[in-house]
Amino acid sequence: MKNLILTLTLILSFSSLAQGTKRKKNVVIKYKQYESFDLGNLEIKGKIIAPGDLSVKERQRKRFSRPLFERDDFDPEVRRDIQNLR
Amino acid sequence: MKNLTIILLFTLSLPSFALVKKAERYYLKSKSRNKNAYIAQELYKSRYYFSAVVFAKEHLIEGKTFSKEFENLLEELVLKTGTMSFYGLNEKVLSRYPSPSLHFIRGLRLFNYKKYKGAISALKKVPRDHRFSPEALFMLGSAQNLVQDFASARTSYEQCTKKAESLENQSKNEKLKRYFAIVRESCIIHQARLLFKERKYAASLKAYDNIPKTSYRWPYILLEKAWAAYHLGNYNRTLGILVTYRSPLMTSYFFPEAEVLSSLAYFKLCLWDDSLQLIDQYYNVYRPHSDALKSILAANKSSHTYFLKMLTRPIKEMESLNPFVRNLMTQVRKRVKFSLDLVNYKKAKNELKYVNKLKPSAFTRKLKKAIEGGVSWRTKHLNHYIKRQMFSFINDMHRFSYEMFNIKLEVMSLQRDLVYNNRELISTRSRGSHKNVSRTSNEHFFVFTGEFWGDELGEYSFGLKSNCKRVKKIKEINTKALKESGEENKS
Repeated sequence: MKNLILTLTLILSFSSLAQGTKRKKNVVIKYKQYESFDLGNLEIKGKIIAPGDLSVKERQRKRFSRPLFERDDFDPEVRRDIQNLR
Repeated sequence: MKNLTIILLFTLSLPSFALVKKAERYYLKSKSRNKNAYIAQELYKSRYYFSAVVFAKEHLIEGKTFSKEFENLLEELVLKTGTMSFYGLNEKVLSRYPSPSLHFIRGLRLFNYKKYKGAISALKKVPRDHRFSPEALFMLGSAQNLVQDFASARTSYEQCTKKAESLENQSKNEKLKRYFAIVRESCIIHQARLLFKERKYAASLKAYDNIPKTSYRWPYILLEKAWAAYHLGNYNRTLGILVTYRSPLMTSYFFPEAEVLSSLAYFKLCLWDDSLQLIDQYYNVYRPHSDALKSILAANKSSHTYFLKMLTRPIKEMESLNPFVRNLMTQVRKRVKFSLDLVNYKKAKNELKYVNKLKPSAFTRKLKKAIEGGVSWRTKHLNHYIKRQMFSFINDMHRFSYEMFNIKLEVMSLQRDLVYNNRELISTRSRGSHKNVSRTSNEHFFVFTGEFWGDELGEYSFGLKSNCKRVKKIKEINTKALKESGEENKS
């Protein structure tokens, strides 16, 4: 039984190999020389889940201001006054 | 007449000479525990104050006895020779005795070392009726201020003002009167500074107004008043107060910080061109000042006498100096500490002359050595004081130059933002108007006609309108486009 299956498989594979070599010789691929699409007539079925138009919103620029000179106290002057007293 | 004067002087100097002899005898023979205190007392009586300090300090270091008489002597010696005479004593010695004079010196020492809590506890020990109490209260208030105990600081300053005022009224000596007036005014200024620190700017401005324009402190507080007005958002007043420094009467005063504040005020009013102009002016004016100072400092920084000699030169000889350096010298000379230290330095030098005339002995050699050391130390101290003032001025100039640069960068950044957003400020240069001047009920309005009047100094205000409104930059583009198209058509 085993030998029979092996023999059958060999015969079948030989026949398919012979067919393949025959087909290769006959294949001629031709591309379309001109094709036009009428985009207006194209219909796409489905639901719109994204915004309809393409837009880029300007991002609010973060402004980092420089710490300008500020006077919160006169502590250095307080110290200096004592040094200049006596 | 001449002979009479000589005889009189000789007769007057005889008792003091006798007392020095007495002190010398005691120094050579006595083995008493109070030997040094006694010698100090005798030298004090003979008006050899700096010599007396030598023995008073030795007595304190020995730590054998301390009497009320010795405390009185200490008080007198501090008054006659200055706090610096005992300033060098170490902490242990200064805190060992129940002496208000030493507590005062210890408080000053700890304050200068930034040990404010220690200073507070030392200064609290100075009795309220003591001669040094106005200064002690002033220092106490300042130490409390710096440790953020504002309520106690306010009380101390108020007590200082009252005490100094009463001593000012009691004093018959004009110099002493002026000294207590300065202490009183200093306490008032510190109260104003305290309010400023608490962000009570309007109250602070009111407190500053208690300083009369005739006061030597007044030019210095203008800058502080300008800051208070700035924090209140009254930029026109800030600019007005600061313009006072441009008056001919104020030529010897220059504050780099005032230029920065003016520039900031213009910046806040969005008058960027004015702000930038001030910044350029700052570099142009202060760079030569800085260079002049640097050249002097670099050549003499290691000298222990150069600056003192320069300051004590007659005014005629000072004329060769850069006017700016001359003015800086004038500012230093006006400082209370400098005046007191200079007087004591001269007194010490004078006493050294008299000590040199005494008959040579172990006693006089000791005195000579100690006073010579004292004079040398005082020379270095005064010289260092002047040098430090100069260095701190240069540092200030550089520090504020950096702040000016920051303002310039910020202006440029804002100008760039305007361009990016296709906007512009409402006007390129706002004009002044009295409508923009905000004033209180006791302030009057007069138009400035290019003259500075003494009574008006410090009362100026600008009338500039804020230029901060931004508008769309459409007009300019259209007109430009039109012009360009017109030119094209013509060609």
